[in-house]
Amino acid sequence: MSTAKKQMNAPAYAEAAAEEMITSRSFWADARQRFLKNRMAVVSVLMLVLLVLFAIFGHSLAQWSYEEIDWNVLGKVKTEGGPTLANGHYFGVDELGRDLYARVVQGSQTSLLVGFLAGTASVILGSVLGATAGYFGGRTDQIIMGAYTIWLSIPYIIFFVVWQAFFGRSLTQMILVIILVNWTAGLLIVRGQVMMLKNREFVDAARMLGMSDFAIIFKHLMPNILWVIVIYTSIVIPEVIMMESLVSFLGVGIQEPNTSWGALISEGARTMTFGTLWQLAFPAAFFVIAQVSLYYIGDGLRDALDPKDR
Amino acid sequence: MLNYTLRRLFTVVPTLLVLIVFSFYLMRLAPGGPFTSEKPLPPSVMANVLERYGMDEPLHVQLWTYIKNIVFHFDFGPSFSQKDRTVNDVIAQGFPVTLTYGFWSAVFVLACGIPLGIIAALRHNSFWDYSMTGLAIFSQIFPNFVLAPIMVLLFTLSWGLLPGGGWNGGQWEYIIMPAVALGTSYMAGVARLTRGSFLEVMNSPFIRTARAKGLPERTIIIRHALKPALLPTLTYMGPVFVYMITGSVFIDVFFSTGGIGQDFIDGAYSRDYSMLLGLAILYSVLTFTLNLLLDLAYAWIDPKVRSKL
Repeated sequence: MSTAKKQMNAPAYAEAAAEEMITSRSFWADARQRFLKNRMAVVSVLMLVLLVLFAIFGHSLAQWSYEEIDWNVLGKVKTEGGPTLANGHYFGVDELGRDLYARVVQGSQTSLLVGFLAGTASVILGSVLGATAGYFGGRTDQIIMGAYTIWLSIPYIIFFVVWQAFFGRSLTQMILVIILVNWTAGLLIVRGQVMMLKNREFVDAARMLGMSDFAIIFKHLMPNILWVIVIYTSIVIPEVIMMESLVSFLGVGIQEPNTSWGALISEGARTMTFGTLWQLAFPAAFFVIAQVSLYYIGDGLRDALDPKDR
Repeated sequence: MLNYTLRRLFTVVPTLLVLIVFSFYLMRLAPGGPFTSEKPLPPSVMANVLERYGMDEPLHVQLWTYIKNIVFHFDFGPSFSQKDRTVNDVIAQGFPVTLTYGFWSAVFVLACGIPLGIIAALRHNSFWDYSMTGLAIFSQIFPNFVLAPIMVLLFTLSWGLLPGGGWNGGQWEYIIMPAVALGTSYMAGVARLTRGSFLEVMNSPFIRTARAKGLPERTIIIRHALKPALLPTLTYMGPVFVYMITGSVFIDVFFSTGGIGQDFIDGAYSRDYSMLLGLAILYSVLTFTLNLLLDLAYAWIDPKVRSKL
């Protein structure tokens, strides 16, 4: 018996191996550690949490509601409507004498809600379609990919504007149309991953155990490509927020008196010639902070989940 | 190559058909219409108006007439909201404007983005490199609808250098801000991509060979590295064109350039069916044409792709 074999049979070695088995970290724990080491990403998560808290609880600090007009400053918005603690308008008032702070809180709610709900939903939709196309191949794949190429050659804003103008401009409609416009999100990348994985042994094994295609896709393939989906979601969410803001800027977004970052920025941009700069500055600052945070979170997630790339 | 082009041209027909049919039914099935107003028209007048615009017929007949008119007469129908103009008039007036600053914007994207990316790659990890990355992040965060107001604030309201909107027959002062506002984020994207691919190419064996032959660095860059390094950038330009066309709607609205974007948004508000459909078709055809040209350019540059066509 060679020394190496002797060593391997020694009880100490077995114990160490068992120890290693117990303490070995999963892929996700590894990723979490890598993510937490990325200082920018962690700070960004904190910023985003603060933004979400602001959107949820901000109203309790406001002294005005977001649709109430302060008749005292109306007509003299330029001189008396600026940001001040004295009359409770922390961010000043808007063109119509409504409290900008309360409106920014409301706008943050809309933008974040639309961003996260619509962003996640469209990536889920895109991934399921992508997985279907990649798994079944053949005719199914052709149809889905055909629809994908056709869809890409239609500028989305057209569809968006038509939909919003004709079906009303509520929050639900906005989320719906964003999901509809973005159904291609993540489709291509998930399709590629599934095509790569579907010939692997564990899928064959599952098939031999008599599992249905549906179960194979959702129980065996999806968990293996979850990391791709997570990365993609982190890219799509800021894009969706931007999309919503652009559409609101064009005036076909959320209906007044409800508002969003884009709508507020648009109002601020319209009135900045009158010298009421705060009306542009505050919404734009919130928008930019959100985008910066989401950018670095996405970056951190990519580094954490896909370390090969570095 | 010709074969490929023809094949691509054939796919545009089903694409446009899908777009037309889908938008047509979407618009028509929605409540309201171009002639609904606060004070409803008397039924007899309404009937006359509907007949005048051919809207008294069943939907599929109207759709068929619409498509027939486009195919045989190149007629996109009368505008419902701008009473004395046809959609063809509106496009003839607004489209050159959008196309002009769109073209200059694309020039700006390529003429600034590519050199910036190359400089950043050649001076890897230097001040230039870091400023470039900074610029890329900045422009990703300041999309055109945030950037444009800030630019107007600085260049028009504070310094009075450039006009804050309007078109004035397309004088260059009026083109600068729309073109830059439209292009900045894509310029940064192009720079980032060029930087990445340039770094990769510069480390590849054939560049080492060129160096070993004793070629001067400038020849290596221009004759050997540039073409392969620009391929990813070219692929990226496809989506960029789509987004620039999309973004032009915003630019038209914000800078009041008089381009088709404003008519499109107005059309959506006033339920101007023919205007919306006509402009939607125009936007899609534009997207398609640019993508096709790009693919052909790609094949022209990359022999591997060419052989597959």
